[in-house]
Amino acid sequence: MPLKITDYSDAILRDITCEVAKGEHRIILGDNGAGKTTLARVLCGLTPSDHVDIDGINPSRSFGTTRARKINYIPAKLEVFDTFLSVEALLALSHFNTALPIQSVLEMLQITHLRQQPCSRLSAGESQLVLTASALLHGADYTLFDEPTANLDPVRMRELFTLLRHDTHLATKLIITHNLDLAYQLGFDVIYLKEGRIVFDGSSDAFFDQAHLDALYGGSVKKHNGHVVVVL
Amino acid sequence: MTRLLFVLCIILLFAAPFFGQIDLPWQRLWQSGTMEHQVFFELRLPRVLLAFLVGGVLSLGGLVFQVVFRNPMSTPFTLGVASGATLFTAIAIVAGIGTLSPLFAFGGAVLTVLILFAITARFRSYDPTALLLVGIALSFFYAAALMVMFYLSTLQESYEIMRFTMGSLDVVGFGNILLLGAASALLLWLVYHYQRPLQALLTSYAFAYLQGIDVKKLSYTLLFGVSLAVGVAVSMTGPIGFVGLIIPHILKTLYRTSADKLLWQSFFYGGAFLVLSDLIARNLTANNLPIGVVTSFVGAPFFIYLLMRNK
Repeated sequence: MPLKITDYSDAILRDITCEVAKGEHRIILGDNGAGKTTLARVLCGLTPSDHVDIDGINPSRSFGTTRARKINYIPAKLEVFDTFLSVEALLALSHFNTALPIQSVLEMLQITHLRQQPCSRLSAGESQLVLTASALLHGADYTLFDEPTANLDPVRMRELFTLLRHDTHLATKLIITHNLDLAYQLGFDVIYLKEGRIVFDGSSDAFFDQAHLDALYGGSVKKHNGHVVVVL
Repeated sequence: MTRLLFVLCIILLFAAPFFGQIDLPWQRLWQSGTMEHQVFFELRLPRVLLAFLVGGVLSLGGLVFQVVFRNPMSTPFTLGVASGATLFTAIAIVAGIGTLSPLFAFGGAVLTVLILFAITARFRSYDPTALLLVGIALSFFYAAALMVMFYLSTLQESYEIMRFTMGSLDVVGFGNILLLGAASALLLWLVYHYQRPLQALLTSYAFAYLQGIDVKKLSYTLLFGVSLAVGVAVSMTGPIGFVGLIIPHILKTLYRTSADKLLWQSFFYGGAFLVLSDLIARNLTANNLPIGVVTSFVGAPFFIYLLMRNK
């Protein structure tokens, strides 16, 4: 059973229809304001809609572990109201995949030193890694990542890339990003949004074909030595 | 620091009934039929218990409201519960049925919450800011209606209404205490029952939602539970300000831990704070100072001191 959205429109998105089967992954690309985050919020039920179906459930009408085990959304920024809430407490809240211990995920992401720290003291990059840890511990069938590498230094970005590529804890990853090389190297199928509409939904090879890139980006994106680079 | 504070508060709670405007010789306290026995068991002890329970309910209620609304300035009166109780007390007094005023006060508090939820239930999605704004609008409406009551009242009635708004811990016997004790126990049960979802609210609504929590249902349940307990408290004592705002902040500064780990502490220290305030109110002047005045006079400088120390 797949994750489906059918004929969805709102103030930003127009006639959105797409389907992702469990076990597949997607990269979601698009210009600023194209509606990527809006789409993610609709898919996970944060924006209520009757046009979404995840394995037979509507996420905005389902609660408890039924929904939590189906879908998760990792926002671009970690938002925490309480000044003293620790990283460990935050991670424990999303620890649905109990087969995976918190300590091992912290070690995997090399952030064991943050375990007892208050979330409010984390840097933007550290917050992003903590959010990634929460995604792994949550272990939902479908996980949406919103700009998972936006605030990471090059070394951390490379490590996270490896993790996203080789991870087996998350059945389906949908990754929103502006980093075209990351998208290219991951090799997942691509959904491209433009002005609220899906204008491309297909394979990575077809999307990163140079002629297609030229048509989309007007020559400012080139493939060079096996990488996708922005021509400045 | 926290252990010392805890010990001091325990001493305070046990010592408080022994201090007042009349000295109560120890040996006569235990002789039933003596005036000292009567003052101690019919007035002092119930008063200290009332202060403790009301302080506890207001403080824990304040903590929950601040978490649910994600607003450090929230108090258990933010939704207009106190204004509703005050208005309906005024109506009872002006209508000449002042003896029923606690019942009216409780009815006013509950009605306020019901009106509020009925209005916000019509909103498409859960919006705590809208809930807060409707609560504030209701409070203003009640304030205007209270003015009408003042306008219609005699001098004596106006005085009675004014005294209610200042808060009072005058109580005789244990009847009210049992009722408030039951309300406090229910509130504590409710808050501990929802401790984990409450912890999720300390992050963001979105994060809590993604962990499977029905944020709207949880928030309404907690707000309703707190408002009921606060309604019971306010119907007995009138609105006592500051406790619900300041104690949760003081505890966070002292304990440096997240709000979900300060539940019983909020209740206990809120109670102890009101007992201390009442002790000061009863002993400072010949005529008892209004308790609300003391809570503000004691709490505000201490709060500012804590803020300055942390900065």
